[in-house]
Amino acid sequence: MKSFFESKGFRELLRIVLAVTIGLALGFIITLFVSKDPVGAYKSFLLGPISRLNRIGDWLEESLTLILLGLVICIVFGASQWYIGVEGQMVLGAMAAGCVALYVPIPPLPRILLAFLAAMIVGALWGLIPALLKAYYNANELVTSLMMNTVALKIFEYILKAFIMTPKSRSISSELIEKPFRLPTFIPNLPFLQGIREIWMKQTSVTIMVYIVIAAVIIVYYLLYKTPFGYELRTVGLNTKFAHYGGINVKRTIIMSILVSGLVAGLAGAHLTLAIHNKIISNMTSGLGFEGINIAILAGNNPLGVPIAGLLYGYLRAGSDVMERSSDVSRELVFVIQAMVLLLVTAERLLPTIQKRVADIKENSENGTNGKPDVKNVKEGDSHVA
Amino acid sequence: MSLETVIRSIFSTLFLASVIRISTPIIFPAMGGLIAVVTGVPNMALEGIMNVGAFVGVMVSAYTGNVWLAILAGIVAGVLMALLLGLFHIYFKTNLFIGGLAVNLMASGGTVFLLYIMTGDKGNSASVKSLSVPNWEIPFFKDIPFLGDVISGHPVFTYLAFLSVILVYIFLYRTRFGTHLRAVGENPEAATTLGIDVKKSRMIALAISGVFAALGGMNLSMAYLQFFQKEMAAGRGWIGIAAVHLGARKPLGVLFASILFGFADAISNQLGSLNIPSQLVQTIPYITTVVALAVFAIQQRQAALERMKRYQKEHLEAISANASKAE
Repeated sequence: MKSFFESKGFRELLRIVLAVTIGLALGFIITLFVSKDPVGAYKSFLLGPISRLNRIGDWLEESLTLILLGLVICIVFGASQWYIGVEGQMVLGAMAAGCVALYVPIPPLPRILLAFLAAMIVGALWGLIPALLKAYYNANELVTSLMMNTVALKIFEYILKAFIMTPKSRSISSELIEKPFRLPTFIPNLPFLQGIREIWMKQTSVTIMVYIVIAAVIIVYYLLYKTPFGYELRTVGLNTKFAHYGGINVKRTIIMSILVSGLVAGLAGAHLTLAIHNKIISNMTSGLGFEGINIAILAGNNPLGVPIAGLLYGYLRAGSDVMERSSDVSRELVFVIQAMVLLLVTAERLLPTIQKRVADIKENSENGTNGKPDVKNVKEGDSHVA
Repeated sequence: MSLETVIRSIFSTLFLASVIRISTPIIFPAMGGLIAVVTGVPNMALEGIMNVGAFVGVMVSAYTGNVWLAILAGIVAGVLMALLLGLFHIYFKTNLFIGGLAVNLMASGGTVFLLYIMTGDKGNSASVKSLSVPNWEIPFFKDIPFLGDVISGHPVFTYLAFLSVILVYIFLYRTRFGTHLRAVGENPEAATTLGIDVKKSRMIALAISGVFAALGGMNLSMAYLQFFQKEMAAGRGWIGIAAVHLGARKPLGVLFASILFGFADAISNQLGSLNIPSQLVQTIPYITTVVALAVFAIQQRQAALERMKRYQKEHLEAISANASKAE
């Protein structure tokens, strides 16, 4: 048991738990300053999502999007590509899925499948330009992908306003996708589940995306850790030069990492149109662009950790919505908390530094009998310098 | 408006003046990014710091009624954000990219959060009366027919931006401390053996970049427009970083790159009056940035290849010369 508490995994876990706790505490301190009823506001933030069935549904739906975005970042950050063009890929994927679901005149099942396919292909293709520029000419992918995001958002808005929006619609959106072309609920239509299914369907609209997302998590994990491609990708991520000398086609790996991540980003877009909004609507992806990074980092860049991190942040987001509706604190508080958690989780040296301090204090109080500063830990932290 | 009038307007004094005005909020973050990059700590939080600077400047000016105090407060806020990034990156080893993204996230969420508390609005601060910096009519130049219209009468920030390019040049290349910063960026180990405190130098470089980014933000909210808007920087912090790359990390080059991006922005503003969909026209500055980065990267690549070829050739010549000597 002792060895577990000293293991690296436990330290990682401790760091994450600590970071989230500090982040939430900071959020509460901020709430104390700005709210007339801080306890009530924070209570609605922390307990809101599980207080009603429909809110649980909202939480799950939100989490599904976030899990997909986390997977996207796992793939590209795994190859050490600072590619954050996921918002552009997602929004165009959403557009493609919506267009197929609205306008292609084929029966429901092939139409939905085609919608998914279109979203994923469009998502992947949109990553092509930054990917080629990075792989062949080493152009800074962070800046190019961000610029491409803005371009994608503008194109989305243009297509929506010029071709899809009907004159009679009051908001900037398409018509609703007709019932048969939406995704069915995730509880199968079996006799003994009938009761649950009816209650659930009345309150929420969580769809079979649940299964698709679970499959995506497993596939991405398998891809990264059990296939030659994943091995190459992670080797490039650790050390590009080493990968090159080891005979790995670095260029191809970089391009493929971004394209594969684009497939998942497109899937997230399809989820937005086919499951959450049921139409193409302006500002679909607002505030989602950087969520993937939060989640992937919290999950230690491991696809199997992503669902947990996604559910946690989905919970915080859903909670912040409840808080905004039921109190005087706005939902943007959650971004500040997330940013703090992000900094704390990635602070390699923070825990060793604290441990050293504690050890020093111990040493002083015990007159240097027992508590030497933890030199080993500090060294370990040093070796991670990027 | 027809195409002809648009083209004519592009060659007008008004347009050139607008290029200068629009370049300003790119020059500032670019100069900040430059100082951070040459010190080896590329500041990825410029975008967020611009938003914070823009917000704090507007709010302090609205509450105190003093423009200069507001600018000071904006700068202090920008420096604090930059130092937060520095603290986590330099002392706690947070990855610089992720740290920068975290600070950006905190800035965009935090500004909207505070905006809502202070004004009850989440989109902009138009409901509170904030101040803007004065414009400056250059005494002698303003009377020169063409030139006067182009370069006179801009907000003081604009002149400060162009002045800052010279200051940054002198700082980096003509002062002891600036040279130290460049040494830290090029070879931290060597700098350490010379007795330069690498961590402290990098913190200071980040702080300076925070000053510039905050000024760039305030230029948007207190000169270009007279209120704060959600996500006001609109990618200019990132375009600034692109300008640093494109300008080959030299102050003058970075200035020209910034003006190029300002030009693209101004063109897109002009074309907005044509019968082309505005959303497509608005993509021009961003596409320009991608294209410019691509062209620059390709050029760099070719230059490196040529250097390699030349080296190989010299090497071969040297070998053959040695061989003939030996005979």
